[in-house]
Amino acid sequence: MYRYDEFDHDVVQSRVKQFRGQVKRRLEGALTEEQFRPLRLQNGLYLQLHAYMLRVAVPYGTLNSKQLRQLAMISEKYDRGYGHVTTRQNMQFNWPQLPEVPDILQDLADVEMHCFQTSGNCIRNVTSDPYAGATADEIEDPRPTAELLRQWSTMHPEFAFLPRKFKIAVTAAPNDRAVIKAHDIGIEIVKNEKGEVGYHIIVGGGLGRTPIIGVTLNEFLPREELLPYLEAVMRVYNRYGRRDNKYKARIKILVTETGIDAFRQMVDAEYESLEPSDIAVSEAEISRITDYFASPQFEDAPDDSAFEAAKSDEDFANWADNNLSAHKQAGYSIVNISLKPHDRAPGDVTADQMRAVADLADKYSFGEIRTTHQQNMVLPHVKKADLQALYEGLKAAELAADNIGLISDIICCPGMDYCALATARSIPVSQAIAERFSDPKRQRAIGEMSIKISGCINACGHHHVGNIGILGLEKAGVEFYQVKLGGDSSENAAIGQVTGPGFSQEELVDGIERMVDFYLDSRTGAEKFIDTFKRVGIDPFKEVLYGNA
Amino acid sequence: MTANELREGYSVWLTEDLTWSTDYADAALTEDPEIIAKMQSVADRDVEANEVVGAYFIDIDPETKLPARYRERFRVTGPSNDLGEEIEKD
Repeated sequence: MYRYDEFDHDVVQSRVKQFRGQVKRRLEGALTEEQFRPLRLQNGLYLQLHAYMLRVAVPYGTLNSKQLRQLAMISEKYDRGYGHVTTRQNMQFNWPQLPEVPDILQDLADVEMHCFQTSGNCIRNVTSDPYAGATADEIEDPRPTAELLRQWSTMHPEFAFLPRKFKIAVTAAPNDRAVIKAHDIGIEIVKNEKGEVGYHIIVGGGLGRTPIIGVTLNEFLPREELLPYLEAVMRVYNRYGRRDNKYKARIKILVTETGIDAFRQMVDAEYESLEPSDIAVSEAEISRITDYFASPQFEDAPDDSAFEAAKSDEDFANWADNNLSAHKQAGYSIVNISLKPHDRAPGDVTADQMRAVADLADKYSFGEIRTTHQQNMVLPHVKKADLQALYEGLKAAELAADNIGLISDIICCPGMDYCALATARSIPVSQAIAERFSDPKRQRAIGEMSIKISGCINACGHHHVGNIGILGLEKAGVEFYQVKLGGDSSENAAIGQVTGPGFSQEELVDGIERMVDFYLDSRTGAEKFIDTFKRVGIDPFKEVLYGNA
Repeated sequence: MTANELREGYSVWLTEDLTWSTDYADAALTEDPEIIAKMQSVADRDVEANEVVGAYFIDIDPETKLPARYRERFRVTGPSNDLGEEIEKD
């Protein structure tokens, strides 16, 4: 993992000191709420529906065990004993109190963490593939690139007041686990015909009230040109992005209104005017950063016969079948930890569970943990021979749900239960669906499918790219839910199609069940839900959703 | 009249004795213009004094006596799912 250098340490410590002073002045009345609000937001502190909420940055979803234990401690000392993993791989605390927030920031700084740029119209926390550095299908580990972007974008003076927030994701695998096409900039690390590694730059994607799949801005950007080129993109956006209407201020609107060819010309012109050597990063610096992400010392082809033998335990076998992913090193697995028990809010994790995951990471995964945009956690490097012992540890911590990628592995924003922007609740809907499909056998029979729920049009729950996407709205004091079908967050990214009028929560769950039953009756071979949907189209699914079939 | 406490951030409502309560049951419900004016001035004073932030009046359903707007009803009831309550019980 990346370790802070003296500059990182100084920046974080000075920011804590600065915010402590700002909070003191606010409490003393030297700052009004209007003056203080942008300052607290720049430190990830929101005032939500019922209380303050603090959003902690987890750069590219990578944590070490010490950091996770510190988050557990913070949740108990200053909050209500739990945290919430967000769809940007961050962690939120729902109940901090203003006078204590500077102490929280100090405790975070002590483990090289902070809340920079988890709010506001700046470049937000860069996200990445939670399997980075572990998966066999990547060209290289994307984390050094993500770290480079973190360093470049952190407190970048030119991009602190953009027209709107700006989200970047990086992946290095053809299987997109970072939803790069739904980001302001998506970066795919690729190889060209000569075998050189560079960047496929995608721009103008995004969800929110105007969902758009990003388009290619640059098919292959040489590695050394990354920062100057992104600087050019950001300058074009900063200059021409709309500031008159916040709903049209994202770069996706600029790209759409300008047209990708004209936008590319503007970027190229800006790039030509730059002095790239001013910000281009040397090979030596890239190498320095990359060294921090060197693979752990894996054993050479460790014996995994114990793993195969342990599969005689049906529960373990089911968990292993569903929650493990292929590792680049023979004899190892990537372990997905579900934070989706059907009776809890997706992504919630208690302090005890955080400590349990940290301990298991130390014991079995070189102390590394990842958070995922699906609101789960990952132990990236577990020896297969240790999987059964790990599973027992997860079971003891009530973290052994075997539903990764299945119908109850629902992405869900906090909704009206916590968020000041929400129009309806999303958590109870998620729980009702998970409850309806709680039978593990039934879930496995249905197979891979995604349900994503947002409690308002801002789409933090990624409903536009769910196989089934649900949007919570409210009319005359009554919640109702609109349904989209056919969305896809993978490398085949697609925006779902709206089905029609909305439903009550109860009608919605019944309608989803009818669609699932229809899929099971209609699928051929190994078709997933999305495959059947693509083959038969939306109409028959709508028929059963509305009970007309 | 409702607001959020500056320090804790919790939702609060102005009571008949013109103090702030985290319990909606204590909230003053009135259509009397004189009392409304008095409530506004107290809210302005307490915003100025950095006791509360974002003070505003809400409409009440005359039958249920609960806030008319869905969002405001939620500020009264609190989240329908708070893991903190479960942890506290344990």
